[in-house]
This record gives sequence, C-alpha cells and structure tokens, in this order.
Amino acid sequence: MSGFRASVPFCQPIATFFRISAISCFGVIIAGFLVAAPRAAAQETPYFVAYSHHLEEPGNLELEFYSNYGTQHRGNDFIAPWLELEYGITAWWTTEFYFDSQETFNDSALYTGNRWENRFRPLMKEHWINPVLYVEFENINGADKTMKEVVGFDSAANHAVPNNVARLEHDHEIETKLILSSDYKGWNISENFIAEKNLGHSPWEFGYAAGASRPLRLAATTRPCNFCAENFIAGIEFDGGLGTTKHLTLAGTSHYAAPILAWQVPNGVTLSVSPGFGLTEASHGFLLRFRVAYEISGFGRRINNQFRSIFR
Amino acid sequence: MNRAVVSALLLLALVAAGAATAREHNRWPLDSRGVLLAIAKAPAKARAEKNPYEGQSDAILAGEKLYRQKCAECHGAGARGTSRAANLHWRSVQNATPGELAWLLRNGNIARGMPPWAGIPEQRRWQIVAYLKTLH
Repeated sequence: MSGFRASVPFCQPIATFFRISAISCFGVIIAGFLVAAPRAAAQETPYFVAYSHHLEEPGNLELEFYSNYGTQHRGNDFIAPWLELEYGITAWWTTEFYFDSQETFNDSALYTGNRWENRFRPLMKEHWINPVLYVEFENINGADKTMKEVVGFDSAANHAVPNNVARLEHDHEIETKLILSSDYKGWNISENFIAEKNLGHSPWEFGYAAGASRPLRLAATTRPCNFCAENFIAGIEFDGGLGTTKHLTLAGTSHYAAPILAWQVPNGVTLSVSPGFGLTEASHGFLLRFRVAYEISGFGRRINNQFRSIFR
Repeated sequence: MNRAVVSALLLLALVAAGAATAREHNRWPLDSRGVLLAIAKAPAKARAEKNPYEGQSDAILAGEKLYRQKCAECHGAGARGTSRAANLHWRSVQNATPGELAWLLRNGNIARGMPPWAGIPEQRRWQIVAYLKTLH
C-alpha cells in the first residue's frame, strides 16, 4: 500500500497541501474526469504503445493520465505515471506534451523529464494503409520508466539501477516513427517502425510496435448508454527492440505482448487497462498499464474566444 | 428625393446580399448538380453505395445520438452549421447520395479542417447518414 501511496508523484504536492492521502487525491482526479460535462468526439484506438493514423480532432485537447507498473527480477518493482496533453492543431497535425515521473518501491520517487511529440498525416484521403510521420524530442533522464517505446537493447536490467545513479544520465533524444494503419470491418490494425537516437553519442536504436483492436459492438444503440458493448474496445499489442545500427538483431532484446480493454464513456472519458507479459529473458516479467483520458471538445475555439473578448 | 435614397439603399442591400452569397458559394463551392464539391469528389463506386439502414427508425435514432457525440461540436446542435462547418440542412448537402455522405464521413475534408471519421465503424457512419437524410 505504501508503494501505491507514493506511486502517484503528481498527487504528492496536492495531497500534502490539502492534507489528504495520495490515494484520495488520485480518486478525486478520476472522479473529476468522470463527472466532467462536455461531450467528446474521440475516435481513438486503445493502444498504449502503438499509434494508429487517427489523429486528434482539430481544436480538441485531450488530457491523459497514464501509469506503467512493472515487476523486476533483480531489484525493486516500480510504477511510472505520466501526464500527456494532446492537441489537434489541424486535421493532419497533432502535437503532444508529456511529463514523466516514476517511483521505484523501496527507493525514491522522481520527475524524470518531458517529451514533445508531433504526428503528421501526409495523405489527405483514407487508403488501405495510411501512413503517419512521427517526430518526438525527449528531454529525460536515465531513471525514466514509462516505457512508451522499447528500442535497441532496452531491458529490465536498465531499470534495476538505483534512482540516484540512473537520474544522473541525461538523455536528449530524437525519436521518429513510421506509423502504418488500416481500418477494416471495424478492426484497426497498426504497425509502427521506430528509430531513436541519443543526440549526444549513441547509434540509432530500432524498435517496433503493432496492435489490433475492435469495438465489442459495431453499430450504435438508439439510446445514450455507459455500459453497452459499443463503448468497449478490446485489442492486443506487441512491442519490442530490434537492436541498433551497429547490431541489428533480436538477440538480447525485450519484447512484450499485451491485451487491452478500453471503456469510452460518452461524456468524453476513456479508461484503459492493459496487462503486459514479457516474452524474452531481457524483458520485465509483467507490466500493468492504466490510462484515464478526458477529451475537451472545441478547446482551441474556447481559448480563441476568450482572447477575442479580452482584446475587443 | 426620398424615393431615390430608398432605391439606392435597396440597391446597396441587394449588392451586399449578392456579394455575401457569392462569398458563401466561394466558401462552399458546388458541382453541376448543386452538391457541395467536397462531397461530390466521391468516386462513382462510393456514390452508388446504398445505406443498409436507410429509413430504419432505430438507425436514425442511433445516428442522431452519434451526431450529437461527434458532429454537433462543429456543425451545431441543430445541424444548421457554424462558422467552421456547413449547414447540413442545405440542399447542396441533402442532394448528395447516401454513398457520397458516407464517403465524406470516412475521408473527411482534411485540407479544410474536417477530420476523417474512419476510426468509427462503418455501421455507425451509415447510421449517421441515415439521420442526416432526415434533415431536409
């Protein structure tokens, strides 16, 4: 329990200020998401690691809270929460900011850095396979355990390093992805090819992610409902490392398989959960990912209107 | 004198209305059938597709629900359009075939800000089309 208490670093300052437990703070955040009013237009896929070609609708802002719990063979288990702000600039360009943190049980909790990601859709129509180009700049430290992607020879052993040592490594990295995605008879099938480089010294590292998902019911029912099958999406995703430019290989790399279940509540909240299983010796044995997302429709327009009223 | 002023004002109003209409048409260009060009770009195969839910009351209700969730933010709660998106009651929309509307929903009009809705299942897109066709 103490692990969970401290597992929500974003909640710690709030919890201390209001003299409530971090669990209460976490509960309040989730409850706030659930009762929030505006309807959302989300049509997103439920993946944690893979991306599809569906971008954020223009002008919409999505607030997402993630956490990644991981078990460790030699070392302490950890939980790595992060906050994500996703905004649809145009119908072909989505930008996102991430703020990462982690707590390693029996060690410490810390903020591990931030990332800025952009996704561009080069083709203006739907095709059998739809490409999206992805570019991300990461300013994180070596203690980051969000595992938003697995590349090169990333392994469970990297995460066994104590936080006070791992945090000394500063990673300024550029990450690119080629996202290929298709929709067919209610299914979404996405494949991502990842290339990442530490701008300081390292060679290019490669990885992949792939996912397939489908709503439990394809047609909508006549009445608004929260618990009907049309609001649930089930899927599975795979991800792993592929070595580096110097040594392109599967040997010694980590790979994961993870079923996913997402619940899209019509008021704009999405809850997702995904237990992940390590497939190789280098992988973590078990991961548990969790996500709460809330989409604010027309956010950009509202901000614009506020500025207009101020400067009128 | 008064008659001249009134005539001049009427003429001015007429010119302004004409200019506004022309601007609206420039903003929402039409094809020879009077259908919005963004919709009329649909290929012949898509244009000819029939809505499997056509006229079904359940599908229309479901389509209305989906419209409120996914379309009303831009097209307005009554589908009368906003500064960002077309009025869906317009004849230039209603003249489109169900197949053309379904094609536009799937592909969007990305260059002009309408996102593609390929991420929602085809059945739900047809339900939205069934609802849109009741707006004329």
